[in-house]
Amino acid sequence: MTQSIRDRADTIATFRWVSVHLMEMLARWVPSTPELEVKILFGRHIWEFAQHGDALGRRTAELRAPLHFSLAPAKTYAAVLEELAQVKGTAERVHGLYQAIMPDLEARYHRYLTDTNPLLDEPSVRIIDRILADLTRLRADAAETLGQRSDLLMADPKWLERLRTRALEVASFVALRSGSVAEVV
Amino acid sequence: MTATAAPVKTVQGVTLRLDPAREPCFHVVHTDAEMADWPGMSDQSRRERLHRHMNNEAAALEIAAQCLVDFPEAPWDLRMQLARQSADEARHTSILLQRLCELGGRKGEFPVANFEWCVTLMVDNLPGRLALENRTFEAGLIDILGSLRTTWRAAGDATTADLLDGILADEITHVRFANRWIKRLTEEDPRILLRVAQAVHYLRAVNDALGPQPGDTNIVGTTFTQERTQAPAVYVEARLEAGFTQDEVLEVLRQAGFRSILPEELK
Repeated sequence: MTQSIRDRADTIATFRWVSVHLMEMLARWVPSTPELEVKILFGRHIWEFAQHGDALGRRTAELRAPLHFSLAPAKTYAAVLEELAQVKGTAERVHGLYQAIMPDLEARYHRYLTDTNPLLDEPSVRIIDRILADLTRLRADAAETLGQRSDLLMADPKWLERLRTRALEVASFVALRSGSVAEVV
Repeated sequence: MTATAAPVKTVQGVTLRLDPAREPCFHVVHTDAEMADWPGMSDQSRRERLHRHMNNEAAALEIAAQCLVDFPEAPWDLRMQLARQSADEARHTSILLQRLCELGGRKGEFPVANFEWCVTLMVDNLPGRLALENRTFEAGLIDILGSLRTTWRAAGDATTADLLDGILADEITHVRFANRWIKRLTEEDPRILLRVAQAVHYLRAVNDALGPQPGDTNIVGTTFTQERTQAPAVYVEARLEAGFTQDEVLEVLRQAGFRSILPEELK
């Protein structure tokens, strides 16, 4: 399937919005997370999501949208991210991000790769390939940290499954532009 | 200075931002006098130095991260720099924790203070925070690391000296981007210079109120001598590399008590 330039720009801009949101969420969590090893994990990954947002934001300008164009996702998906952002427990933060939201995000990147024309949209494909490799590494970092901190247990293990399900239920997280609603951050 | 309803604490009559989260194993204190700071390079003193530095790096991470949260309208390129700084400070914290453990230490072995966070987070604007955290505290760290590398090497610990050398290189980049952005932002809006000046004035007032005086002692009986309360030797080369102008470096030298050795025309 070949997407229009505008559809591709909107999808890349949504990925950018999510990357910047995750960067800010980790930044918000850093001072309020007591466990030093987890604070370090979150701190290191702030830069990873910033780089994803930067690469995606440069790509939007090549797709005839503004430089660093960000598009808020569908409200149902934004609500899932907001639920995670509001979590206070360290175990919930780590498991929620790295075992629920990040695998869901990876699946959405893979879906984009399946849907786009790999030659026509090669610059996007290269960016997403690199992001996917990064996300695999980030999840490995989190697993290592959880290995160091086996005392981090979730109060309600079923919450993680509910979060996964809520994210999965949002088939398309892109809220396509109806007019000029560009938000540049 | 602060415009938000952020939680605060009062230390000897001075209002400061409440400390960031720490694990229960840490004993958080609020002044230099409550820190276990020994002179010399005994095994205990080495571990305490690493422990204190580790916590300060964690605080630097927290400050950079909180700036990303508090100033979403800042230019994207500046936010990128803050994100990179967050990751650098996180790496430094990790490196120092690992070295501390290698030397037989552990998290929470000594008291910690979060002075930089508690002061910087009272400032409600990004140029002011960059002026305090990057241009003042981190520039001061450049000076300290300049001499500490030699101290550790002379004490026979080349491993720690090399780690500090690597950290120093990163800190120079943090000071440099802050210098560049403060300059750029003040060129765009000269009123920002007033905010920077207010932040620096605020820090000076806090230091005057809470800083140890010569003759005071800390909780392990170490006396704050005139020498210990003075700023460390200025690492001129690294400060120039970090984007300070020659005039600014000379001003730091003057304030650090080196006026007498400066050429007459520069006094």
